Amino acid sequence: MKKIILLNLLLVSALVVFASSNKETKVTEDKSSSWQIESEDGILPGVNPLKVEGDIISAGSSTVFPLSEAMAERFKDEGYAYNVTVDSIGSGAGFERFTVTGETDIANASRPIKEKEIAAANKIGRNPIEFRVGTDALAVTVSKSNTFVKDLTLEQLAKVFVSDKWSDVDASWPNEKILKFIPGTDSGTFDYFVEEVFKKDSAPLLSASNVQMSEDDNILVQGIAESPYGIGFFGFAYYVENKATLNILSIDGVKATKENVDAAKYPLARPLFIYSDAKIMKEKPQVAAFIAYYLTYVNEEITRVGYFPANDSVLEAGKQAWLEAMK
Amino acid sequence: MINPNYSESVMKRKITEGVIKVVLTICAVITVLVTIGIVVILGKESYLFFKDVSIVEFFTSTKWQPSIEQFGVLPLINSTLTTSFIAMLVAAPLGLCVAIYLSEYATKKTRSILKPILEILAGIPTVVYGYFALTFMTPFLRLVFGQHNVEVYNTASAGLVMGILILPLVSSITEDALSSVPNALREASYGLGGNKLQCTLTVVVPAAFSGIAAAFILGLSRAIGETMIVALAAGAGPNFTFNPFEAAETLTGYIVRISGGDVSYNTVDYNSIFALGLFLFVITLTLNIISRKIVQKFQEEYD
Repeated sequence: MKKIILLNLLLVSALVVFASSNKETKVTEDKSSSWQIESEDGILPGVNPLKVEGDIISAGSSTVFPLSEAMAERFKDEGYAYNVTVDSIGSGAGFERFTVTGETDIANASRPIKEKEIAAANKIGRNPIEFRVGTDALAVTVSKSNTFVKDLTLEQLAKVFVSDKWSDVDASWPNEKILKFIPGTDSGTFDYFVEEVFKKDSAPLLSASNVQMSEDDNILVQGIAESPYGIGFFGFAYYVENKATLNILSIDGVKATKENVDAAKYPLARPLFIYSDAKIMKEKPQVAAFIAYYLTYVNEEITRVGYFPANDSVLEAGKQAWLEAMK
Repeated sequence: MINPNYSESVMKRKITEGVIKVVLTICAVITVLVTIGIVVILGKESYLFFKDVSIVEFFTSTKWQPSIEQFGVLPLINSTLTTSFIAMLVAAPLGLCVAIYLSEYATKKTRSILKPILEILAGIPTVVYGYFALTFMTPFLRLVFGQHNVEVYNTASAGLVMGILILPLVSSITEDALSSVPNALREASYGLGGNKLQCTLTVVVPAAFSGIAAAFILGLSRAIGETMIVALAAGAGPNFTFNPFEAAETLTGYIVRISGGDVSYNTVDYNSIFALGLFLFVITLTLNIISRKIVQKFQEEYD
């Protein structure tokens, strides 16, 4: 008798739990689009961060990291009460988490996605969508105490990073070892540099002498700042943050300024991206909300972070891609 | 008549004893299984690595850059040995002196103060030592030897700080060895007219030699496996050099850099860190076995 009562009790309580959880999902479903602020057709909806629910996971480029971090901060300041994870692990590793293991909702990248990465994503049922968020002027920097280099041609740049001593590149430069501080092989910055400066062949750079590699750009900054004969490169934001201890070189006589980047004169300007997927954006409305928010306000944050706004047409293309994905 | 409570309590005790025995056995088995698991994984992944890479190249080439198929482990071994050697240069003499002082000269009271302080040194997180190397030892070396002669990241700074790290380990095992030398030996030495220093250097230290050697070897094996200090201060690029003021990456430093941010699965980089891990494991295991053997021999002499 006792047992039957117990069983009944269990059944009833299970039903109650089930019913209440059912109710809950219904509520969130209703809420899923409540963050949207009505807008005309063909224009991104406004985002109310107060009504966005659920965590967002992103990982990738250490170059894009300060920008995504700034956007996440702003999103939270305006009322988003959950967590945005932004891991700074390099573009390659970021794509790997997005396309192979499928652990992340957004991949940050300082280079476009590769064919084989798209193929890997398709295998796990994802179809990467690209959103251009800005432009970086890759900064080639030396220590403040370096007085002999102010400008390098692209040709010299390639030579500096494979030569042993400064005097090997230009006889008037000191007979001192060139200490090179470069991002690790899995970073988009490394890939970009190899593509632009070494015509896609990474072997000469990797087999050069006195090379220090790190995925942590701050390690590179510290190494360059304290080595009078050091040189290295990374995203412009890291230069802006460390202006006091670093000198930036102009390339082919062109300085990395907003005018030169906008006019496409600076030879090492490159696009910055975030990637997501239509299915994720639909299943996790918080991801769609964050991306819409990101695309809407990125130009208000990007200069402060240390990068350059992408031109309006590519930003607009990202917004259209967002609308397309959410149809 | 037997008290019914009595048999019940015996039963109870038997059950608790049984449970405790089972729990403890499980604990012991778990540690063994974990060790076996690690060895199996290291072996499996290294096997994949050595299927692609010739073992001869691995041990003879002086270039290490797996992403462009250069697989010579010598630069990594060389800098591991450099940092460990520098660390032993600090820890061995200093550890021996500390141990002699604590065991032979210090009064009970000073000993009771000094020993815990030494043990605090062992409790400092290694990442703190790493930043100590980077923000104190390196600038200090650059001040003494010149900005241009010492690079920002260098093996000397990492090695010196690592010496401080393993000092407590070396001195405490050495002290145990010295204190376990029977007093009869000391008395015999005094009886022959020796003073304290003579007694210590000619009788106690030689008698404890095997224990001291074991302490040094354990310290060395700790230095070889140490990661955080070298990752922060020794440099982040393989470099085959004998100059301790240059940056050079160690075995552990490479492993932590590759796995720290940019492991792409199914690449040679990824497999290479397991091969290096296995190699490190074999080195430290060998050193530990040697020191154990030496200690065993030492125990036989006096017990």
